[in-house]
Amino acid sequence: MSSFNSLLEGFAGALTLSNLMFGLLGTFLGTLVGVLPGIGPALAIALLLPITYTVSPSSALIMFAAIYYGAMYGGSTTSILLNTPGESGSVITALEGNKMARNGRAGPALATAAIGSFVAGTIATLILAFTAPTIADWAIQVGSAEYVALMLVAFSTVSSLLGSSQIRGFISLSVGLVLGLVGADLQSGLSRLTFGNDAALEGIETVIVIVSIFALGEALYIASRFRDTGWKIIPMKGRALMSRNDLKRSWKPWLRGTAIGFPLGIIPAGGSEVPTFISYSVEKSLSKNKDEFGHGAIEGVAGPEAANNANAAGALVPLLALGLPTSATAAVILVAFQTYQIQPGPLLFTTNPDLIWTLIASLFIGNTLLLILNLPLVRFWIQLLKIPRTYLFAGIVSFAMLGAYALNTSTFDLTVAIAIGIVGFLFRRYGMPITPLILGLILGPNLELQFRRALQISAGDYGTLVASPLSKILYLVLFLVIIGPTVARLRRKMKAKKAIIS
Amino acid sequence: MTLKQGAKSELTFVGSLFALGLIVFWDTWRTELPEINLTISPTLFPYIVSILLMVLSTILFIQVLRGDSALPEGLEPGAKIEKSDLRTFCTVLASLFAYLLLIERAGFVIANTVTFIGISYSFGNKKMLKAAGIAVILSTIVYFSFTKFLKVALPSGIFRGLM
Repeated sequence: MSSFNSLLEGFAGALTLSNLMFGLLGTFLGTLVGVLPGIGPALAIALLLPITYTVSPSSALIMFAAIYYGAMYGGSTTSILLNTPGESGSVITALEGNKMARNGRAGPALATAAIGSFVAGTIATLILAFTAPTIADWAIQVGSAEYVALMLVAFSTVSSLLGSSQIRGFISLSVGLVLGLVGADLQSGLSRLTFGNDAALEGIETVIVIVSIFALGEALYIASRFRDTGWKIIPMKGRALMSRNDLKRSWKPWLRGTAIGFPLGIIPAGGSEVPTFISYSVEKSLSKNKDEFGHGAIEGVAGPEAANNANAAGALVPLLALGLPTSATAAVILVAFQTYQIQPGPLLFTTNPDLIWTLIASLFIGNTLLLILNLPLVRFWIQLLKIPRTYLFAGIVSFAMLGAYALNTSTFDLTVAIAIGIVGFLFRRYGMPITPLILGLILGPNLELQFRRALQISAGDYGTLVASPLSKILYLVLFLVIIGPTVARLRRKMKAKKAIIS
Repeated sequence: MTLKQGAKSELTFVGSLFALGLIVFWDTWRTELPEINLTISPTLFPYIVSILLMVLSTILFIQVLRGDSALPEGLEPGAKIEKSDLRTFCTVLASLFAYLLLIERAGFVIANTVTFIGISYSFGNKKMLKAAGIAVILSTIVYFSFTKFLKVALPSGIFRGLM
């Protein structure tokens, strides 16, 4: 009941003119970066961080949350019409959605994606509003030792589940941890990995790493490898509307997608790839029109799109209640909180209740704005896809450089940005996922802090790390996540061998 | 032993990751500890991370040698892996360095214009005059909106006094 009252107060806070304007701006920017391939929500928020120093925390966070949600809506438009996913959660949508567009059914595909996103987003945000405070209440008792275990689990799931191979995920994580080490150690003042450079003492700016690894890395990669692969937009006939039959086939996948996406967002499953894929397989096996799958089945768009949005809302639960981001975008939002000296985590609901409830209420408002922005106005976004790629990337890169420079007005930051941009290129070229690096960079220092705190309390006794039942369970999970993929691979190999012998 | 296409360059990349781990290890090893009594030494984490990186890159090195080479982002499994266009790569990189060198010497508008044109050119734009026009207009708009509205000071460079 108290959650309900707080939520109502949140609506009162979110419905002020300035907060509404920032919400609208965020939904607009979010849809924009979602539609345009090559920029995602993480990059957009990172670029806007330095600009928002003058804005109040609630306005800025409302805008960032709106960008986060908006990118999901925009991403599906690009997947359906271009077959180039605008962001990672829309990869599955492209499978059926693009086929539908080719068959002249772009309208229903866009409609089921947008309405499904709205339904899933609203339900998931509602669950978020009622579960996050409960989890936060419980998490207040979680001590440093358990936090260490939680972070290790988050690290290992994100590293294992993303990208082509587990080992590459863990290497990406380690590189992120190395970047997080640079600078003066907070406790002892010892300078680490600075090599005598004074500018490096304060550490490597997270924002610069994110901006350059996404924007500069992507530009280097696309320019030198896919320059000549142009975009081909499938023209849309009619309006983005669904027939009664489309709706009948869509509503169950929406709800199932929500049920799959939300819980997988709460546990660190490494972003939206896994839930969207599971939702797609579920819809495929449950559908009466199995033969349509692969040729444009509407269920294959409705389910994954709903799962994608529910997953995004789910990922806000550990971010707000535990201070633990599980995707690159959530990690950037964490940095945004920290620039305002606010630490997300169990205490957030007691120290900053106004802020948090305003934020949650604004998610509902943003979701509604997004539905309006994306259905009737879909043609406007399609026009944006016609911006020539050469100007698009020129704009992204020069903005990224500006963002990197404007942060501290220092050319040292620009040097770091270019170096990280090259790392971003190499990671893409050699199939290394980027999210683990971001998580390692942001959470690494935090992990070290909690680790030291736990051992200071126990006066150096390492047994404290596994003392509580929760820690024991978490380390068991950690063990399973690490060896799981290896066991699965060995089993496949054995099967293949048996098949050859027989 | 024959290596797959692109495996040689990948081995170099993985080798440099090992070297990164080694550098972290060496830098941690040579630092002198401050004389404060801490339960956990500030060198413990760097040691763990460096060893982790070295062990993992060794495993990956062996995997690549045995034929498990990487799949570049955006490619389907089994697709032919082509070489990166080195010239374009260098053009992009040069445009980035131009920004770094020009921003405080020549000012934001010039640095931004040069980088914009450079990136546009490396993405295959042939209409350089049009690109230059867009770049100048965009840079000027960004300059004024940052300095006037957002109160973020950007270097005026050679236009000092004019702007």
